[in-house]
Amino acid sequence: MTTLTPPERRPRLPRLPERIAGTETTLAALAVAGYVVLAATTHGAVVSGGTLTAIFQFLAVPMVIGLSQMAVLSVGQMNLGVGVLTGFCAMVCAWLMVAAGLPAWLAVAGALLTGAAIGLVNGLLVVLTRINGFVVTLATMTIIDGLRYGVHGTATYQGYSHRLVSLGQGSVLGVPTVFLAAVAIAILVAFFFRSVPLGRRLLASGGNPLAARLSGVSNDRSLVVAHLVSGLLAGAAGVMVVALSGSVNATIGDDLLLPSFAAPIIGGVALAGGVVSVLGTCLAALIIRLVDVAQAQYSINPDWVDLIVGAVVLGAVLITQLRRPRAGGTP
Amino acid sequence: MSRPPHAPPSPPAASDAALPAPDPAVPVPVRALPLWANPRLGLLVLLVILVVVFSSLRSEFLNTSLTLEPMQADLSVTVVVGLAQLSVLSLGHMNLAVGRIAAVSAFAMGWAYDKLSVPLPVGLLIGLAVGALVGAAAGWTIQATGVNSFVVTLALDFGLVGLVSLLYSGVGDGVAFHVHPAGMDSLRNDTFSDYCTGSVCGPPVPLIVPIALVAALAVGLLFRYARLGREILMTGSGLKAAELSGIPTARRVVQAHSLSGLLAALAGFLLAINNGAFSADIGSQFLLPSFLGPVLGGTLLAGGAVSVIGTVLGAAITEVIQTGLTLLQFQVEKLKIFIGLVLLAALSLDRVRHVVAERRGGGA
Amino acid sequence: MTYLADRLVKTFPGVRALDGATLRLQPGSVHALLGENGAGKSTLIKIMTGVLRPDGGRILVPRDDAGAHGKEPGPATDLVKGPSDTDAGLHEVRFSGPQDAQRAGIGVVHQERNLIPAFSVAENIALQSTPRRRGLVDRAAMRELARGCLDRLGVRLDVDRPVSALSVAQMQLVEIAKALATDSRVLLLDEPTASLTAEETEHLFGVVRRLRDEGRAVVLVSHKLEEVFAVADTVTVLRDGRSVAEAHPLADYTQEEIVNLMVGRAHAARRLDKAPVAPGTAPALRLDGVATALGHRDVSLSVRPGEILGLYGLVGAGRSELARAVLGLHPVTAGTVQVHGRPTRITSVGQALHRHRIGYVSENRKEEGVFLQQPLTRNVAVTVWNRLSRAGLIRDRDERDLLTTYQERLGIRLSGPAQLAGQLSGGNQQKISLAKWLAADCDILIIDEPTVGIDVRTKAAFHELIVHLASDGLAILLISSDLPEMVTLADRVLVMRDYRLTGEVANDTHDYDSTSRAIGHLLHAAAV
Repeated sequence: MTTLTPPERRPRLPRLPERIAGTETTLAALAVAGYVVLAATTHGAVVSGGTLTAIFQFLAVPMVIGLSQMAVLSVGQMNLGVGVLTGFCAMVCAWLMVAAGLPAWLAVAGALLTGAAIGLVNGLLVVLTRINGFVVTLATMTIIDGLRYGVHGTATYQGYSHRLVSLGQGSVLGVPTVFLAAVAIAILVAFFFRSVPLGRRLLASGGNPLAARLSGVSNDRSLVVAHLVSGLLAGAAGVMVVALSGSVNATIGDDLLLPSFAAPIIGGVALAGGVVSVLGTCLAALIIRLVDVAQAQYSINPDWVDLIVGAVVLGAVLITQLRRPRAGGTP
Repeated sequence: MSRPPHAPPSPPAASDAALPAPDPAVPVPVRALPLWANPRLGLLVLLVILVVVFSSLRSEFLNTSLTLEPMQADLSVTVVVGLAQLSVLSLGHMNLAVGRIAAVSAFAMGWAYDKLSVPLPVGLLIGLAVGALVGAAAGWTIQATGVNSFVVTLALDFGLVGLVSLLYSGVGDGVAFHVHPAGMDSLRNDTFSDYCTGSVCGPPVPLIVPIALVAALAVGLLFRYARLGREILMTGSGLKAAELSGIPTARRVVQAHSLSGLLAALAGFLLAINNGAFSADIGSQFLLPSFLGPVLGGTLLAGGAVSVIGTVLGAAITEVIQTGLTLLQFQVEKLKIFIGLVLLAALSLDRVRHVVAERRGGGA
Repeated sequence: MTYLADRLVKTFPGVRALDGATLRLQPGSVHALLGENGAGKSTLIKIMTGVLRPDGGRILVPRDDAGAHGKEPGPATDLVKGPSDTDAGLHEVRFSGPQDAQRAGIGVVHQERNLIPAFSVAENIALQSTPRRRGLVDRAAMRELARGCLDRLGVRLDVDRPVSALSVAQMQLVEIAKALATDSRVLLLDEPTASLTAEETEHLFGVVRRLRDEGRAVVLVSHKLEEVFAVADTVTVLRDGRSVAEAHPLADYTQEEIVNLMVGRAHAARRLDKAPVAPGTAPALRLDGVATALGHRDVSLSVRPGEILGLYGLVGAGRSELARAVLGLHPVTAGTVQVHGRPTRITSVGQALHRHRIGYVSENRKEEGVFLQQPLTRNVAVTVWNRLSRAGLIRDRDERDLLTTYQERLGIRLSGPAQLAGQLSGGNQQKISLAKWLAADCDILIIDEPTVGIDVRTKAAFHELIVHLASDGLAILLISSDLPEMVTLADRVLVMRDYRLTGEVANDTHDYDSTSRAIGHLLHAAAV
């Protein structure tokens, strides 16, 4: 057989997935380097059991929140309600245990279901009304924000299922269980986008809706599914908060909206849709977490954290932009 | 005048620019939309209904000093915040940093009053300049790098959150400037009814309301009649077409963001006046209302069309619902459920009205 | 195994795109589908691939096709028991969407890439026919499928590379492989060589021959006749929506005969009264040896006031890009641009407009020509706001007056000044897009594809308008791919191919026959 290998016309810059792989490597290197520097300069404080556990315990929720936002970004949408939905699901979960007296596992299922149901509503509203997803989730976010307080006012739930809390605060072989759960969720999400036909269709819709439609993909269904997955993941994050903290109130989720965008954006997920990176999102969440830890260890003014995260977000996007060949290339 | 019977099925592919594009040979007749299809009118009716309902349920709703005056003062802030977002929505951009720009500007103003002891207007000008500069920097980054405005202002927001706290902890007592330059207190506490010529006193309108009104009027004039505002709208309507029509689009992007920063700074000033202090938490609650007003008022996220009157009405509706439900002793946070529902209902109704109006007015 | 598109008719409002065109495809052959712009090729392809539905005529596919490959036609495919009067074993199908065409074995490789950029080669090839195991994507089988398809094409490509990292030529091969993955018996290649180098083209034709030898029918749509002659066996020529040569062996024709078939003699070019350009008039716009960063080399031309200079060429030949370089959107790297005899360096459209009074009517009316969501007044006044504004403010009345002036002058049909541009018909939109340049007193106009997608009547009116403007003393550079339009309007025609001018044709007589042939030969045979 003669092989006809078409000549490469000009050396091309690495793009999209290759670029993502590059981003992931960079982020991993950054995370490791950051950790090593932290360990060295704090005389091993971050290597000690307690601190190490805390680092990963409090990484779990930001990771899942980032993935929740990533799920909608995959189809080029946004979900402004990620933070408040997490808080709402946490409150629902606690309410189911404390007020309704349900066993913990049912309460967890209830919280996940709540998240998924609200995600579904978001998706349906976007598809049926054809109103911009940003605005739809802005509206539902406002509603959920109120609902969050509707569950138990400004009061705090505590003393619910000790088993759930001890599970949430416990660890397996020294690794916090919530972190293990977050990793399991990340693997599931990665699997969903990699190997489940439905997940592939989401990416196809996000990457090139026209081509997706010509290949028999329903873009509307992709939108609905993406919102549903996002809601489900926010529900999972809510359950984690319940299990980890031992007490919840309605302020949970207030400060999660902007970080939910930071992780995927630093992780190399395109706002336009079609490209996701589970590993990148998780690594970005880790880096943000390390900045937090550094602040605590060095007793720096905590305000530097946001400043640095802001700089990293902009820097990450600028680098991506600069690496992309300007104008031209694929139409 | 109906459409040709064989309107070609819209091809699923926007594929190639097919030669015979299905352009109707006959211009589609467009009748002016019926009056009820004017979204602003709907908002106005809704506003009136809300006011009537609330005042019949609670007579305190019409109490001047208890309800109406604080409501007007709050509304002034909300309107200006909405205008700040509207300025970039005109381009089809977003400004997630409205709140922090307000905070930074408020710091600049507080600092100027505290350390430089400048008079009230001078400090305001300094603050406005800071806001405009920060906004311009965001706009410049967006147009120079081509990065989405959402991401740029998100990063800016993160950066400014930290910066503002650092600034306050570096200067002053770490939280706020409690300085009260001359005129600030009367701006905060007085209404026009406190000023009388003989027996004729002014209306019970707080002194800061005219500031917001002037801002709304100026922004309205800008986008309605000024070359600058129109060219910003054209840029938002079609970047390529604007560029090919000789509009310096890059400059217009910077200018729109600069205006957004300036209005955010003004909102920060008004809130500081209402609160009685220039503090670090100014602007922390701006993000949601900044979108609520314009979106309720019918400004498109896609760019190219803005409604200042709509924004004012949208902000007013939000404010009336909040005040009314508070009087009915709803918990503060529960109000949001209603505001969200109103937003959703208004948007859906707008959609329905649009579709119906098109069907009736557009023929076929 | 014949596929037959039988006497297809398709009418768009004001335009009859297909008027009984027939396309007969035999397995194991490469079939060239030729025709000038507007002859109906795109429409025919769209009907064959299920994107458009015909108003008349039938599509017949081999009867065994559906069964043989185990693919039941989907519920949407309406199978009609065909009166197989002419072709035994064929049955009529109606496609209700692109998927139906694919099921019937018709695959298409579009000019624009229908690939998902972030997906790998394998994922793209297997997009429609993803192998699954227990409900999940079977990656091993997917790679295998992709490799199999690429092997059949004789192409070596890493199936795990993302498509976005491939060259245009490689993407095209992936699209062909994608069509093979759904087992297409017929492959339509729409201008496949438009953006390929000679070497890549040769490789592609190797692949095309392989497909033919496998017993598939390949349809090649191309403007480059030398390529067509190199690879095709049979030819169908479309003209005005009809087939003037039907599945004829290509060997029976010479290139010249094909050109003559394509241009035909049907168009008696309309004569429009136009004041002749006074001899010795100095050129308004003059380019000398201009080169651009985009690849233009040694472009020289001049347009005099009162003259219409045509710039003819195929889509992608670099004509619009040249216009944009003149406007300052792309840097001119060599040569000089003179406006009214003065050498200039234009760096922005604003400068071109306000200082040199050069206007550009874009080919992309909906995105670049008008602001669809804006009222007509603003659409017309956008270029003169600097002049209309008093103390920075603009009065509505001034804009309305301006609109009224041009509404009367250009005959724009509108319902009121507040009407949005998007609510006008294509022809009237085009007039709006022209009006803004006239309002700005432009004396040099570059008009790019002015009548694409405009019905015949409006088109004629538009032609008169352009001639009228030239007679008024405007210098007009007309870019068009519409040959009759060119012959009707232009005083001289320059032909551009691959970013270079290949020659000039005088058109004093406006005689369609001679001018179109001269242009056709400059265009189709230039590179031989």
